[in-house]
Amino acid sequence: MSSRIPLVPENTEPLPSLKGNQGMLAWVSSVDHKQIGLMYLIITGVFFVIGGLEALLMRIQLAQPEMDFISPEVYNQLFTMHGTTMIFFVVMPFLIGIGVYLVPLMIGARDMAFPRLNALSFWLVVFGGILIYYSFLTQSGAPDMGWFSYAPLSEKPFSLNKGPTYWALGLLATGIGSIASGLNNIVTILTLRTAGMTMRRIPLFVWMILVTSFLIIFVFPIIASAFAMMLLDRLLDATFFTPAHGGSAILWQHFFWGFGHPEVYILILPAFGIISEVIPVFSRKPIFGYEFVAGSTVAIGLLSVGVWGHHMFAVGLGDVANLYFSLASMLIAIPTGVKVLNWIATMWGGKIIFATPMLFATAFIIEFVMGGITGVAIASAPIDWVVTDSYFIVAHFHYVLYGGSMFAIFAGIYYWFPKFTGRMMSETLGKWHFWLTVIGFNMTFFIQHFLGVMGMPRRIYTYQDFPYWGSMNLLSTIGAVVLALSVLVFMWNIHVSLRRGKKAGDNPWNAWTLEWAAASPPAVHNFDLVPPVRGRRPLWDLAHPEQPDEPNAKVVD
Amino acid sequence: MEILQLLNTGWSFEPWVLIFASLLVGAYILGAGAGLNRYSVLFYSGVLVMLFAIVSPLDFLGRYYLFSAHMIQHILLLLIAPLLMLLGIPKGTAEKLLEVKPIEGIMRVLGNPVIAWFLGVGAMWVWHMPSLHDMALNNEALYIAQLLSFVFIGMIFWWPVFAPVESRRLNPLTGTLYLASACLGCTILGMLITFAGAGLYTAYVNPADTAGLLAFIRNDLCITPGMDQQIGGLTMWVPGCLIYLTASMITIAQWYGAPEEGVSTAGQEAV
Amino acid sequence: MADNKMLIKFFIASESIFFLMLILAYVNFKGTVVDGPTAESSLNPYVTGIFSLFLLASSLTVWLAGKSLRAQNHTMMKVWLLVTIMLGAIFIFGQGREWAGLIEQNITISRNVFGTTFFTLTGFHGFHVLIGLLMLSILLGLALFGDFKGPKSDGVEVISIYWHFVDGVWIVVYSVIYVWAFFL
Repeated sequence: MSSRIPLVPENTEPLPSLKGNQGMLAWVSSVDHKQIGLMYLIITGVFFVIGGLEALLMRIQLAQPEMDFISPEVYNQLFTMHGTTMIFFVVMPFLIGIGVYLVPLMIGARDMAFPRLNALSFWLVVFGGILIYYSFLTQSGAPDMGWFSYAPLSEKPFSLNKGPTYWALGLLATGIGSIASGLNNIVTILTLRTAGMTMRRIPLFVWMILVTSFLIIFVFPIIASAFAMMLLDRLLDATFFTPAHGGSAILWQHFFWGFGHPEVYILILPAFGIISEVIPVFSRKPIFGYEFVAGSTVAIGLLSVGVWGHHMFAVGLGDVANLYFSLASMLIAIPTGVKVLNWIATMWGGKIIFATPMLFATAFIIEFVMGGITGVAIASAPIDWVVTDSYFIVAHFHYVLYGGSMFAIFAGIYYWFPKFTGRMMSETLGKWHFWLTVIGFNMTFFIQHFLGVMGMPRRIYTYQDFPYWGSMNLLSTIGAVVLALSVLVFMWNIHVSLRRGKKAGDNPWNAWTLEWAAASPPAVHNFDLVPPVRGRRPLWDLAHPEQPDEPNAKVVD
Repeated sequence: MEILQLLNTGWSFEPWVLIFASLLVGAYILGAGAGLNRYSVLFYSGVLVMLFAIVSPLDFLGRYYLFSAHMIQHILLLLIAPLLMLLGIPKGTAEKLLEVKPIEGIMRVLGNPVIAWFLGVGAMWVWHMPSLHDMALNNEALYIAQLLSFVFIGMIFWWPVFAPVESRRLNPLTGTLYLASACLGCTILGMLITFAGAGLYTAYVNPADTAGLLAFIRNDLCITPGMDQQIGGLTMWVPGCLIYLTASMITIAQWYGAPEEGVSTAGQEAV
Repeated sequence: MADNKMLIKFFIASESIFFLMLILAYVNFKGTVVDGPTAESSLNPYVTGIFSLFLLASSLTVWLAGKSLRAQNHTMMKVWLLVTIMLGAIFIFGQGREWAGLIEQNITISRNVFGTTFFTLTGFHGFHVLIGLLMLSILLGLALFGDFKGPKSDGVEVISIYWHFVDGVWIVVYSVIYVWAFFL
């Protein structure tokens, strides 16, 4: 970097510094990848609580038949905002944020390739979120057309309120931010690796972030253009998605799911990355079949862009199209299954240490496989016709996104918290959190499979007193309360650990990737000296010079 | 009954195909020798796939009755046969050929990834323009040109990924982008064909029923013209793309299998 | 620093998908217009074609600007940059003229699907041209103040890559809208 003029104070303390004397300005103006990464994590925490409260309100409303705890209008806004928030403002920015924090450390770089662009990405996400939530303050309230915003429901004659406009604008901003961070990640990973860190040695988490970033830069433009069209429809009376004026509502579905299905993989691939880091460390074995995990990720990425039609089986694309989409969708189960087998094989015969990160990682495999299996089932068009838009689908994608992505996120937080803060999280509270999450999560969502098969549609604000529906819904609601309780325990754990947690040291888990060679929390410049990289586990090679992973590797300095 | 009839009458061993195939085999034997080995088996199976696609009832169906049959033929000729033939050229032969200046020059231009990409994707798009496709069905010379161009362009398209000489190949990451973007190209075309209204290719709507198979296709197999077009479009879209995807998986597997840069294989330089 | 150029290339890849979607929307609705204007009934391929030549020429001049910089010929670089900006501005003027003419005939974005897709596609392209002109003007301004000693400048190269992209998109857009309607 050439002469950089310090217009604003930069933090010199390792982060997060609660006692820094430079105030908020040092955070707001930061271009440091660690600080931005932490801000991502904090902001997603805030959105997670908001989105969770929305879900809780919905579950309370559904606890008994014919309740009138909240009105149908508010209920519609709640499920729309819950879905939008959890996908675009919790899981995605969390995974991007933890990537922004870890990728430069894992590849031995000083920062991202474009630090200012990094800050721009983050603030676009924040302001996108604010824009969407601002719509609650408008006269007609928040968007209420569901997170996939089907036309013509989202179009003018049917949604005269301003909610959908805010929704599209906010997500457009967030999407541009995501594209920018995807570009930044790609260039960082391709150009800033330290000597010896070849593409075949990068940690699997970095690999997953790379594939995810490619997905982001290629599929977000699809939805960006769809948002632009939707905005033109709403603001300038264009006719893209209004069948009454010659437009096509199906076109929106193609655009939305052309983006929406790969988006599912954007939400899960970095989670796979977290799991692929945690499981080897706590099994005390290198990952089994690094190449297969990496290669299958590429296969998933490529396949994911061609199968969106399975979200549209009920539209009537034709039997032939349904057949092809069914088969292609089922194919994705193969590379995904490969990964699951690799993780299990890594654990097989290892000296497994069930610390909290490993507990979450193990549970991740089980819950995610459940979500995956129901996914293969509904990839078959006739099954989908029966259960589509029912609670079966709700259960399916919560198993993938909560049982999958969120479990991995928790594993990642427990695993890297010592690196972020220099302190360990409490194991006791961690185990409480874990078991409450497992019980609460399965209690909430497992029963919903049956509700769905029994015919309970999603997105209804109440239901009649059909046999068993009331008690099953009540069980689900109690589960949601337990889940909320688990989040409280988690927040309390963070609160306590930040202040009184055990000092962590640089490498509390005896892990092998480069980020553990930096101080905890890392110095502003990350590394004083990047350790030599001669294999996939640089810190193992450093500690065991007598039995390196790649005995024939040449030293590159 | 009708199937048997089709299997009996659908073959057409036209001389130009046989001459072309024997030229290919002859040139191969001159260049790489006559023995059967890993390479020559690949090459000969490529030639066989090509022959099958052109002389078998598939060609007959694709020409006179079914767009979907044409599409299968198209994929065999553009993606499968040339790939097998290219993989069947041993490295030594390719190196010798590339020492010849004019050949080297031509391959430097055609093997350029940008040009190869546009030729490969362009072949799909151009030959599927409805007017051109209908014209080719009615014009023997143009039809032959179409089929042969598939084979040649297919070889050029695969060259940057699977050239026999490693130095001519793209690195696996770029190679994956090359293949993924080509996949996007055929996805979009497949999509347009699938979702366009029936009757995009007029010849298949009301075929001149020369072999008396139409009733069998429409009534027994229940393939309507709209469905036929959908199968065709989706065949290009999904299985077509899977071929590119498999290819990029192979390049990545090869990459992981190859020794690391900066790694001494023999271990003399080991530290 | 190769990473600036790498960034712009991946950015362009991403942008291509954006334009691809706008083009697909146009293609999807082409031929579905039941009443009201269509490309055939309301556009003039020749006038727009001539204005397009200006944009095509500007791709050449921006390349010449980069070439001059590599040859350390700073005066010619500024001249070529200025010419590029002027050529781009003429193209934008042509677009504005076409739009004004259409709107005068009450062909607007809300009239029918042709209007919707046409104005969206050309509008987003025009917006990219404007951004390009803005960046070229900044380059020219910096050059006038003596920046860019050469022989290499990421700024110049990156913006010229972007400009070639904007130009390339127009070739596709012109083919899809005008060539398809009038010459096929």
